[in-house]
Amino acid sequence: MSSSDGGIKTAISLKSARFADGEYWVRLVMFACASVAIFAILLIFVFVLRESLPAIRQLGVGNLFFSAHYNPQTQNYGMLGFIWGTIFTTFGAMIIGAPLAIGTAVFLDQVAPERISRLVRRGIELLAGIPSVVIGWFGLILLVPFLRAVTGTSGFGVFAAVLVLVVMVLPTITTLSAETLKSLPGELKEASAAMGATRWQTIYKVLLPSAREGLLIATILGMGRAIGETMAVQMVIGNARAGTFSLFGTTSTLTTRIVTDMAEAPSGPPRSALFAMGLVLLLLAMILIVVIRLISRERRPGR
Amino acid sequence: MTAKQWDKVATCVFWALGIIAIAILAFIILEVLGRGLLTALNPKFIFGKPKAMGSGGGIFPMIFSTLYLVVLAIAISLPISIGAAIYMAEYAKKGRINNFIRFCLDSLATLPSIVFGLFGVALFVTAFRWSYCLLAGAFTLAILNLPILLRSTEEAIKLVPDTYREASMSLGASRWTTIRQVVVPSALPGIITATILPIGRIVGESAAIIYTVGVFVRNVPLNPFDTAAPLAGYIWARQAEHGVPDWKTIVNGGAALLLIMVFIIYFLARWAGNRYQRKRLLGAGNK
Repeated sequence: MSSSDGGIKTAISLKSARFADGEYWVRLVMFACASVAIFAILLIFVFVLRESLPAIRQLGVGNLFFSAHYNPQTQNYGMLGFIWGTIFTTFGAMIIGAPLAIGTAVFLDQVAPERISRLVRRGIELLAGIPSVVIGWFGLILLVPFLRAVTGTSGFGVFAAVLVLVVMVLPTITTLSAETLKSLPGELKEASAAMGATRWQTIYKVLLPSAREGLLIATILGMGRAIGETMAVQMVIGNARAGTFSLFGTTSTLTTRIVTDMAEAPSGPPRSALFAMGLVLLLLAMILIVVIRLISRERRPGR
Repeated sequence: MTAKQWDKVATCVFWALGIIAIAILAFIILEVLGRGLLTALNPKFIFGKPKAMGSGGGIFPMIFSTLYLVVLAIAISLPISIGAAIYMAEYAKKGRINNFIRFCLDSLATLPSIVFGLFGVALFVTAFRWSYCLLAGAFTLAILNLPILLRSTEEAIKLVPDTYREASMSLGASRWTTIRQVVVPSALPGIITATILPIGRIVGESAAIIYTVGVFVRNVPLNPFDTAAPLAGYIWARQAEHGVPDWKTIVNGGAALLLIMVFIIYFLARWAGNRYQRKRLLGAGNK
């Protein structure tokens, strides 16, 4: 669209928006639809907060959020162990998953021939669509027995959860990273090659540094996926009620504890404590989004 | 080592990473289908009723629940998405409110599905006293799917060439008439394509629905206020609680069937997307 077209279009639209009958109401309805998103996030926050208030009130912030002692029989609902479980598994998944995914993205964008690149891309899109129960079941019947045989532990635990999460974050990070790499100007690569740089030198000295923010955002969104993943992790992590520092220890994350206990939690503090875990998850997700916004805002004026 | 040798090593590593990514996919597909395909394609399994005790149960009510849930959730979220997408693409000016709506959409997209599940339990199941039912799950999933549905709908609307709008307006049509009679009809194939991927997500979703819809039913649920048991949630519950002697066969078969369903939806989306794109290109060529 040329700029003069745009000028005419806005002139026409301004006129029609101001004078046409009923246009105001239409606009209002459309706006209402758009604000459903605002309304929804508010409603979710209010309801999850409201349901977690009984636990916060009766147990106190310290006993609920900053204690790792969780045992419904003794009325202890400290969730610190599960917060740690979420952090532990997420970082484990990132340490393996982010290099694998970003490397795959570089492969797709720079190394692979066009046809193979398209094939692998389709495969990764397909992987993104596999339901988490299916991946969890795969982990349960294959990864867990394998780990049991290799390590001599039960096979359930943090490491099995990490491997399952790697599978789940791989498509997210790869797709977004490949998009970022693709959006880099072609001159960057050409200039580097013209200076006599090899492909590898171009990739790690020019392309990866220029794509830094985009790759970071991709990794953070992958983290969001790992923090929120529930069913697949629940099937392989062992669902113990204590936190663990061992890679092969059984434990729970925030999400898996909610799913495991929700069915039998009587109303009052037991159920309310699970909503408080949901509240922590909600805040974690919001923090990630704010961080992403800050990164992309920083990036914009530079370009 | 020289720079050239490093380059060769790096190339090998990148090839290896690409192969690993595909190997993971192939491994999962082969393993899940290998264990469950025979059960999944057995008519007795697909069209049979589940059993609370004893072996030989089928999963027809679960398949039906999944499809019913898809229809309800899309029926709720599509009109809202179209309205919101029209607002974002046609009316919204770049500014604070627009930015805030985007922020909320991004937040919704990152929120773990279990949080949507908790919200569904708190609002629909408990506060509205609906108990576990299809409609509670459908509303929960409608909100969960809003960000991706809205984004792809908006993209479909933005793809309508500006010349269409200008032609309509130059004939004296108001903005709303233009949107209703020109923009939405030309974007419709794109909008329909946009719903396919969210459908795949609804079929695979389990965390948000096990405590809003339910995990076991014996009969086909007909009323939206009936308790139901979508396939993904049922598989999870069966592997967690066992309950019947042949639970492993059921889970294997169910997982394979779920995988097949999701793949069909994916390829449908690809096919529709390609067809739509080709049509658009041809249309532009004819002008």
